Amino acid sequence: MEIQWPLILFTFFNCLAAGVFFMQGLLTLTGKGKKMQNASCVIAIVALAVGGLSVFFHLQNPLRMLNGFGHITSGITIELIFVIIFALAVILYFLMARRSEEGVAPKWCAVLAVIVSVALPFVTGESYLMAAIPVWNTMLLPLYYVVAMVGLGGFAALIIAGAVKEEDAVKLSAMVALIGALATVLVSIIYAVMISGMGDQYTDMEFYFDPTLPDVAMREVTEVTGAILTGRLAVAFWLGNVVVGGLIPAVLAYLVMAGKISAYKVLLVAVVGFVCLVIGTIVWRVLLYEVAVNALIQFQWALN
Amino acid sequence: MSNYAIITDLNRCTGCLACTVACKAINGVDVGNFWIKTLRVGPHPIEGGSGTYPDVEMYFLPVQCQHCENPECVKVCPTEASHIAEDGTIQIDKDKCIGCQFCAMACPYGVRYLNQVEGVVEKCTLCEQRTSQGELPQCVAQCGARARFFGDLDEGVENFEAPAHPDTPGCQYDEMTKTRVKLKDYVEAYTENDIHHLTNKGNDPKLMYLLREGRKWRE
Repeated sequence: MEIQWPLILFTFFNCLAAGVFFMQGLLTLTGKGKKMQNASCVIAIVALAVGGLSVFFHLQNPLRMLNGFGHITSGITIELIFVIIFALAVILYFLMARRSEEGVAPKWCAVLAVIVSVALPFVTGESYLMAAIPVWNTMLLPLYYVVAMVGLGGFAALIIAGAVKEEDAVKLSAMVALIGALATVLVSIIYAVMISGMGDQYTDMEFYFDPTLPDVAMREVTEVTGAILTGRLAVAFWLGNVVVGGLIPAVLAYLVMAGKISAYKVLLVAVVGFVCLVIGTIVWRVLLYEVAVNALIQFQWALN
Repeated sequence: MSNYAIITDLNRCTGCLACTVACKAINGVDVGNFWIKTLRVGPHPIEGGSGTYPDVEMYFLPVQCQHCENPECVKVCPTEASHIAEDGTIQIDKDKCIGCQFCAMACPYGVRYLNQVEGVVEKCTLCEQRTSQGELPQCVAQCGARARFFGDLDEGVENFEAPAHPDTPGCQYDEMTKTRVKLKDYVEAYTENDIHHLTNKGNDPKLMYLLREGRKWRE
């Protein structure tokens, strides 16, 4: 199986949608971000829709979904249920904010926003836990999605705050962006170290040959599990994920949080930080596919 | 209700690929895709040997859907397209398949693939169309070394069957295809310890491989 770009985009946009709504929930809880409410709700829904659209490019017969998801305990069905719950929570938040006399959504809506926003990326990650793919079969995967959601949400909120000139939201958003960026890079490094030690979860057949793939070389297990940390994918990991996707956004978020960036430049810095974080998280998601899809439990190549 | 499976005697398998080819022919498997592949495992140096030929060993390993007891593919399928059929085999209802390919990801053996034309996932059906009529799966029927035996696990693996020569020379095709031999009556003696499965990740693969002492099962 090849890298499934639609699924990578789906998980990314899920994290983005959840991040925006998560931040709006936090801001509402702390009495901030009133002017950002509409924009946050719209962006969360649009991101969710784009993610859903990505899935349609992956599914070969999407319309058969109308026949119903009969298997309620399958990861995909649970994922779909949480996507619907998330969308309903955003709509509810939006309606309650408009209905309120103060023009602010009630605190319980904010708490709901935080809960569903953490749940969505967690469930998304959880659906990929499969015994057949050891490098995915760890709770670090859903945890990564959650911390990436926090980072993306922090920077997205900074951008929204800059765009609608909601200055009271800047500091909290920058703090969350900093925590999210550092947590993202930390979790991905721990994850990469863990993957490098997963060799014993594969069956090492030593010498083998597939007559239908005469030009595909057999690989040692360590070539697969060590690829991210020190192997052929190391440059993408350390440069793309750690430096660009983690350290640069963290430094930018810190500068904003510490007030070292003038107010009119916050938007620009937020956009740069956000783009860096997006690059990093996409790189990491691609790397996770790279080490997963061509290494079967027993044979370290794709049989089909 | 039955519990169909196949056992392959790897001491007999010559790696002729007849199973691979016969399966493609009867099931119309597209170019580039396979429901069963015959891998070569080895040659590996024999323990305590010189490290070079002739002190080496190898075997061929036909890999297909293992029709697991606790199939991961069924667990992840959102529409129940992948399901356990009444005969104990794992089947795909193509009308229900949305082509999400999570089953292909969840399969430890990589034996599922996306049929690009139909937009659904495919794999070995254990020749359901034949076994439901009392025939043997095509890979068993065409096995050049009579290494593959098919049967119902509930009746014991020793009763698994392969095609055999009829007693009367010049018999008709029908008689020929209905003549069978049982595993216990045909292959070299073996013990329970000689029966192996592919790596088990909690899915409990049902298909079995017979590799007797003297040749090391790689796992």
